[in-house]
Amino acid sequence: MSGSSGRTVSLRDRMLLASVALAAIVIGVFVATILAVSAARTATKQEARSKNLSVQALRYEKLVLDIENGVRGYALSGDKRFLAPYHNAKAALPDQRRLFASLASDQPVQAARARTLEGLISIYVETFADPVANFSNRGAAELAFDSVGREQAATIHRNFAQFVNAEKDLSDDREHAADSKSQHAIELGVVGLTGSAILILLFAIYLARGIARPVTEAAAGAGQVAAGDLSIRLSQTGPGEVGELTKSFNEMAERLEATHSELEEQNAALRESERLKSDLVNTVSHELRTPLSGVLGFTKLLLTRDFDPETRRHYLGIVDAQARRLSGLLDDFLDVRRIEEGRFERAKELVDMATLLEEEAQLYRQQSPKHEVAVEIDHPPLSVIGNPDRLRQVIGNLISNAIKYSPQGGVVAVTADRENGAVRVEVRDEGMGIPAGQQSQIFTKFFRGDAAASGITGTGLGLAVSRDIVESHGGRIGFSSAEGRGTTFFVELPGANGVKDRQGHDDDQS
Amino acid sequence: MERCKTILICDDEPALRELIRASMDDGFEFAEASDGIVAMQLAQQLDPDVVILDLMLPRLSGLEVLARLNEDERLRDVPVLVITAWNETRDAVLAAGADDFVTKPFDPEDLRSAVNRLVAA
Repeated sequence: MSGSSGRTVSLRDRMLLASVALAAIVIGVFVATILAVSAARTATKQEARSKNLSVQALRYEKLVLDIENGVRGYALSGDKRFLAPYHNAKAALPDQRRLFASLASDQPVQAARARTLEGLISIYVETFADPVANFSNRGAAELAFDSVGREQAATIHRNFAQFVNAEKDLSDDREHAADSKSQHAIELGVVGLTGSAILILLFAIYLARGIARPVTEAAAGAGQVAAGDLSIRLSQTGPGEVGELTKSFNEMAERLEATHSELEEQNAALRESERLKSDLVNTVSHELRTPLSGVLGFTKLLLTRDFDPETRRHYLGIVDAQARRLSGLLDDFLDVRRIEEGRFERAKELVDMATLLEEEAQLYRQQSPKHEVAVEIDHPPLSVIGNPDRLRQVIGNLISNAIKYSPQGGVVAVTADRENGAVRVEVRDEGMGIPAGQQSQIFTKFFRGDAAASGITGTGLGLAVSRDIVESHGGRIGFSSAEGRGTTFFVELPGANGVKDRQGHDDDQS
Repeated sequence: MERCKTILICDDEPALRELIRASMDDGFEFAEASDGIVAMQLAQQLDPDVVILDLMLPRLSGLEVLARLNEDERLRDVPVLVITAWNETRDAVLAAGADDFVTKPFDPEDLRSAVNRLVAA
């Protein structure tokens, strides 16, 4: 994930960018709204100005009318008193003209019209009204009035009417613009504010779902891990570093779980090994104590009591046998050490398995009157290359096991023959068999199954040692067993090719 | 003259059965069992005066034999001397109903006097 984190923008930067973008959008919306409002205000102002201009135009025209009426009154009556409106209007005319001109100046067309009006009015005043007002001859004044003044005044009024109409159209346009602009400003404001509110809400939801929730989940998950639940996994959502967090969290939990189960397995293996060792101590204790009891007990009796020579000899025989058994047990334990240190002796010679089997069977026949140890060998001799003591140990183990694990007695059948160039030996009993659940463990050192509970003696070493011996001879050992019906162990050893009789073995040795 | 006392020896090791026999005073009769089942059969048949019981017996363990003897109306009072390989089991063995106790390897003299005590009691 380190690669992708390099090219994506970091979460902090992204949040910063999102905040800045949001702020920019909100500011943009406000600016647009303010612009729209000010545009509406400008339009409203222009409309007001337009109306004012119309009013001023009417006043301007009224002054012209006053001049006209004053001059006409004077021309008709010859009475100077009628000139009063003319004088008043003439006095007010310059101010009114300036005001009008300045109000009309913002619209070029109207300004031009205003200048035309100004020109017409000043011509009217200078070339008609002033001379008429200064005439003393009433008839000439009336004539002038009728011929020129009436026409000029009509032109002025037409121009005024034109101006006012134009201004009215303009005013209508402006009013319309003001209306639409304020409408526009209101719409923009509403849409902008709603949009900003939605954006802010979306950002908040993004924060809550994209960041806050995964982080909260991670915190809860960490709590559960701390409490010992290592199976917890987070859903891998969330942007950028939050996604990384959940992913890393899951990886961590997985690794912890793996380590934990590994440790538990090791722990179980250690416990099992401890248990086997503790079993071994008990086994060794019992296995050694029984022959030791024989040795010490009979020795004590021989030392403290008098026996006839025959009895004494018999007891000494037992002491000897038990001492040998002790020695054999020690050998077993030493064999285990040798197996562990990998230094089993490998001195090998030609061995006839047929003879070896007969001898071992005879030995065990004497030890267990309850069992019939039957040997059947079809094609003697069966020569293999090996260490006779070690092979004897293997066969002895198998026969001894067959007897031990059929406590009610019965036949122990020992058979041997050649098979595909190998020598195959089978030892079959009619005993208790090996429970299916224990079959995979019986070659494990110190494993004794239910033997201890059944009162069957042994160290749990025999089969482990036997397998090592057979394998060091290049052979294999195995078994088949049915619980309650008996067990058959087999040993296959590579045959000694070309040397078929025991004579060859003796020659080799000489 | 009172009848010979009978001792039932239960041990799967022939050499130890012989040692026990040799350790005893004269004047006892012996019966021998090499596993727990035979031990129970002989006990019921012979009603022995003392039972000497090894705990590690095939087929039926010594503790099991002890329990069955205690369940039996007739055999409940027969004194039992237990032979075991472990000192630690002493309390368990006595709690299970044994009357005395020797640990392997045992001194034949200790065994003899222990059996004599049980017979006299």
